Amino acid sequence: MMRNLLIIFLLLFSSVLKAEGVPAIALAQVSIDPSDVASIKRGGKFFATNCMSCHTMVYLRYDKIAQEAGVLYDKMPINVASWPFGIRPPDLSLEADVRGDDWIYTYLHSFYQDSTRPTGVNNLLVPNTAMPDIVAPYQGTQVRVTEKGSSALFHAYQWYDLLVLDKQGTMTPEQFDAAMTDLVNFLHYAASPYEQQQHRIGWWVLGFMLILLVMFYFLKKEYWKDVKKHKK
Amino acid sequence: MNKLTEVKKTNRFMDWINYRYPWDAFMKKHLTEYYAPRNFNFWYYFGSFSLLVLVSQFISGIWLAMEYAPLGDTAFASVQHIMREVPFGWLIRFVHTTGASAFFIVVYLHMYRGLIYGSYKKPRELLWLFGMSIYLILLLEAFTGYVLPWGQMSYWGATVITSFASAIPYVGKTMLIWLRGDYSVSGVSLHRFFSLHVIAIPLLLVILVFLHLVALHHVGSNNPDGIEIKDKKGPDGIPKDGIPFHPYYTVKDLVGIAVFLLVFFTVVFFIPKLGGLFIEKDNFILANPFQTPEHIAPVWYMTPFYAILRAIPNKLMGLLAMAAAIGLMFVLPWLDRSKVRSVRYKGFWTKLAIVVFVICFIGLGYMGLQPVTPLRAFLAQVYTVGYFAFFLLMPVYTSLEKTKPLPEQLTE
Repeated sequence: MMRNLLIIFLLLFSSVLKAEGVPAIALAQVSIDPSDVASIKRGGKFFATNCMSCHTMVYLRYDKIAQEAGVLYDKMPINVASWPFGIRPPDLSLEADVRGDDWIYTYLHSFYQDSTRPTGVNNLLVPNTAMPDIVAPYQGTQVRVTEKGSSALFHAYQWYDLLVLDKQGTMTPEQFDAAMTDLVNFLHYAASPYEQQQHRIGWWVLGFMLILLVMFYFLKKEYWKDVKKHKK
Repeated sequence: MNKLTEVKKTNRFMDWINYRYPWDAFMKKHLTEYYAPRNFNFWYYFGSFSLLVLVSQFISGIWLAMEYAPLGDTAFASVQHIMREVPFGWLIRFVHTTGASAFFIVVYLHMYRGLIYGSYKKPRELLWLFGMSIYLILLLEAFTGYVLPWGQMSYWGATVITSFASAIPYVGKTMLIWLRGDYSVSGVSLHRFFSLHVIAIPLLLVILVFLHLVALHHVGSNNPDGIEIKDKKGPDGIPKDGIPFHPYYTVKDLVGIAVFLLVFFTVVFFIPKLGGLFIEKDNFILANPFQTPEHIAPVWYMTPFYAILRAIPNKLMGLLAMAAAIGLMFVLPWLDRSKVRSVRYKGFWTKLAIVVFVICFIGLGYMGLQPVTPLRAFLAQVYTVGYFAFFLLMPVYTSLEKTKPLPEQLTE
């Protein structure tokens, strides 16, 4: 019983044991357009060519947009027996729901050179991440500086306050931002492919309820006319 | 009402029915000749909202169960199947998840109404007890339901909550295994929680709701003034301040229901996860017994009691305090010694106590959602004291304070 209690206790207060020394880095805001199917497909293509060598996206198995972008179930690394460092890369179908769009966007921007790590890189948002910097060929390599701007005096640091581009990759920073926005848009779509339909129907439902409300209001007023006479 | 001028209608079908089943008599007794006080205000909508949400949960639940697969290795994927491949599956699921939270919102407001207008006082003690039983059973229904998506929060929430049993001296460990059906929470536990969630508890809920309504219609509704409308009847034997439930309150409730559904559907169609409040973010990760989430918190409607549990350093005492916090709500009718029912005629101390209680209850709910820090732990303890003081001091302040004189008839 004591052991169980100890476990409960640890579970309940586990949040106190949060990793220390994490730089409080602010999430950069990504502006995606979930109705832009072309952007989603560009993101899907980037995912299929770069991310899918390690990450699966199993719940998109029957999704048409994903299939058209090249995210095919047969090509996913489903049955890989052993992974480097024994860490299996997570399935990313629901990553946008777990982390949020801004988190993913910031994470993909925050890799920097760190020779102490087995992968040679580290990440501002997830210190000591096991993921290698697969966006380096596009973004280029970044190095960490202690402090670049003074914008962080009253706020948490943004990733670009702490990192400088060392050597540019095949994309300019603007092109890279656009590619990552597309990728986040795809991940957003992957987590909630129903969203466009949901919002579209939603407006009709709310409009219908509004009309119903007006009708019910006048119906009630009509019936309650004689209740006033009841008084006293 | 004016029976003399009533035209004798002949409807052979209804005659056939009424000869064999008391359809007309039932309708009269419970709707057209059930007299409710005419001064119901905003707070009186939440009873019918609860009934509406109950029906909505039943319907959406039936459809979810058609595609959901309650096994450890299929549950999570089957939920994604519902969200993606089942036509309008996302709608059915979001109606159900939003309905769960909406249920507690309307039930809490319904209970608050009972609290401020003294609806639990004689002769409505049993009505209150049935209602409290519904609330308790609803907590179990919500808990078992939250396990079903089999995400990280489902798994670890179930682990923490079932482990409460192990704090019971002597039989705790055996009870824990009996509850889980395994040595730790597993697919076996999931399967039995599914059974409880779709059959056992809903059946109990329906029975309790029936008893709640029978008791209500036997004693009649209370009202914001807290006086008995049956005491002042007109020459026709109808309470002077009463109006037939149908059509007056049915059409009034329709207006309320339209407003409620506007808010409800705004959540369902635009913000169903409500930033992790209605569906926690960690629950989008498949249950993993080897990885404890950083921060385990129950869904918002359970957090006031969870905060009380955490506020007390000793686990067994914490569990007892949590049980007492719910238990005290049951005995409310016997704690209130006031001569009047409604807060409108009660004295200063009751009003102060209600304000303190509301602050403490919401404060506890917020603390239960947050990770513990020393300051938050201290605040949770203060709120816990406030919560218990409201109930335990009630016999004192309700019997000592000066009450206002009651009106003869309803004031509005």
